Amino acid sequence: MDFITRRIITSLVVFFAAINLDFILPRFIPGNVADAFVSKPISGNEYQLIVHRLGLDLPPQLQYVHFLEGIFTNLPPFFGYSYQYFPQEVSALILSRIGWTLLLLVSSLLIAIAISFVVGALASMKRGGKLEYSSMYVSVLAWSTPAFFLGLALIWIFGVTFKVLPQFGTVSDNIVGLGPYVSSVIQHAILPVATMTSVIYGQSFLILRGSTIQVLGSDYITAARARGLRERTIAFKYVLRNSLLPLVSLSGYAVAYIISILVAVEFVFAYGGIGDLMVDGIIFRDYPVIEGCFFYITLIVIILAFIGDLALLKLDPTLRK
Amino acid sequence: MQNKKSKLDNPILKSISTILFKKTTSKIGTILIVLFLALIFIGPFVIPYGPTQYTPDRYSPPSLAHPLGTDNLGHDVLSQVVYGAYPSLIVALLSSIGGALIGLFAGVLGGYYTRAEGFVSGAADIIVTFPPLPLLILVGMISPNIGNLIIIALIAVLWAPVGRAVRSQVLSVRKRPFVDAAKASGMSDLKIVMKIMIPETASIAFAYFILDVAVAIIIVTALEFLGVGNPNQVSWGSMFYWGEQFAFPAGAWWWVLAPGVSILIVAMSLALIGFSIEEALNPRLRTQ
Repeated sequence: MDFITRRIITSLVVFFAAINLDFILPRFIPGNVADAFVSKPISGNEYQLIVHRLGLDLPPQLQYVHFLEGIFTNLPPFFGYSYQYFPQEVSALILSRIGWTLLLLVSSLLIAIAISFVVGALASMKRGGKLEYSSMYVSVLAWSTPAFFLGLALIWIFGVTFKVLPQFGTVSDNIVGLGPYVSSVIQHAILPVATMTSVIYGQSFLILRGSTIQVLGSDYITAARARGLRERTIAFKYVLRNSLLPLVSLSGYAVAYIISILVAVEFVFAYGGIGDLMVDGIIFRDYPVIEGCFFYITLIVIILAFIGDLALLKLDPTLRK
Repeated sequence: MQNKKSKLDNPILKSISTILFKKTTSKIGTILIVLFLALIFIGPFVIPYGPTQYTPDRYSPPSLAHPLGTDNLGHDVLSQVVYGAYPSLIVALLSSIGGALIGLFAGVLGGYYTRAEGFVSGAADIIVTFPPLPLLILVGMISPNIGNLIIIALIAVLWAPVGRAVRSQVLSVRKRPFVDAAKASGMSDLKIVMKIMIPETASIAFAYFILDVAVAIIIVTALEFLGVGNPNQVSWGSMFYWGEQFAFPAGAWWWVLAPGVSILIVAMSLALIGFSIEEALNPRLRTQ
């Protein structure tokens, strides 16, 4: 089996496993899912009606068929209605917010990877130098700081004490015009993006460092030095390209962890993406929303990991057969 | 150089104790974690307040009576940090031990027996694609008493990276001449696995175990912070849960700072130890 077939099969298995977990896990909840649907006591008749409406009086195998039908015969997939935002559909709710999550995720990924590349390459130019030590300690610090704590600290410093940046939300209300809108979005994104950048930097720099040092020991680097190439050329052209490989090949796992942390960070900043929506679902016991968020978050990881695999295929010729 | 390398190339668990105290980074980590463990072991005997005991001082900033201040109900924050360490640490320890053991077993199995290879690496590839926190939220919604469920779910997630690392180590050990020699001398597969493969890869699993404790602490506190589980049980996560709601309006920064810095100290000292072990196992990572 070649590399890319293997990855496609893995992605498909993860996709179907996520859907099945979405069906199975909430059915372990003691009592009835309908209990969560209403907040006040209701009569037996009303209860029966709700149970019937949600299809919970059907045998499990029929419920399963209906569940799969809802997901595969609708676009966007049908995950039922949100309890909290009834009668909104879960998918519509998620799709209206997914853009904010992607904005945070992609911008912090790009910034963090750019920083760790430049620092990694510069640090590799002088082994045992001050930059190598300090950047390593900074990344260990970033690796071990819980993101939600860092987020709260940043809100405390910049939002509460100095009042230079907004404390929460994605964009201010009552904004007219594109310019002010964009600047408000950027202002709101600075702190969450800074928090996520620190998390991703802590993850990626340590992987990158390991591979950079491995590459530095290779013969072709010695050969390049012997040919009299400048250290900077070697660092940015030779070392970086080759040390990319392990980073990209670990990207799937790293993205799964990073997006997990993003859920907590969105909650800290009340940033209206799907992470924040999912945490709202915990508080209101809104199971359809939690199921839907889990599905879409896993889908994001699958897609990003697959993009990483394609990049890996391009970078590493030995994987092509 | 060659001599030194071959010595480090062949590590067994015994050498870990030398790593812990020889390198500066791991020395700092070891000292920090020992001090912290001493604090939470001795704390309950020394601190005059229980973690849920009300005192008349509400929102009191750090003082002599309350070194880390008090929260909105007058609970002593130091006492909460000390008692609250146990739930998070126990869940993190048990799940990391389980993850490392299963990962070691699966990795050796998948690396040594060609028949198991596809299954083990396939399963690991699938597991690492699941986002752990959303998965745990889904699992944690099942019931408020989630301790055991969370441990099982964390083990199901944590074994996979260990299994991958152990497997690739087994693949490289398998190529060495002494394995062929052992086979030629009539050693059974089971004996080779028990006598060579597991000792050769145990230290990698150990490095992962140390780092996973830190990862698990961060994930578990995040989970409690988000309101999964029982927020009335005193833990670092529940301190964040209540602190996030009440500390900000009251300006009680000490309430959130204490559990945050505690997690940071524990995670950082474990990271320093874990990365040092990894470095010792892979000599090319060493800073010169």
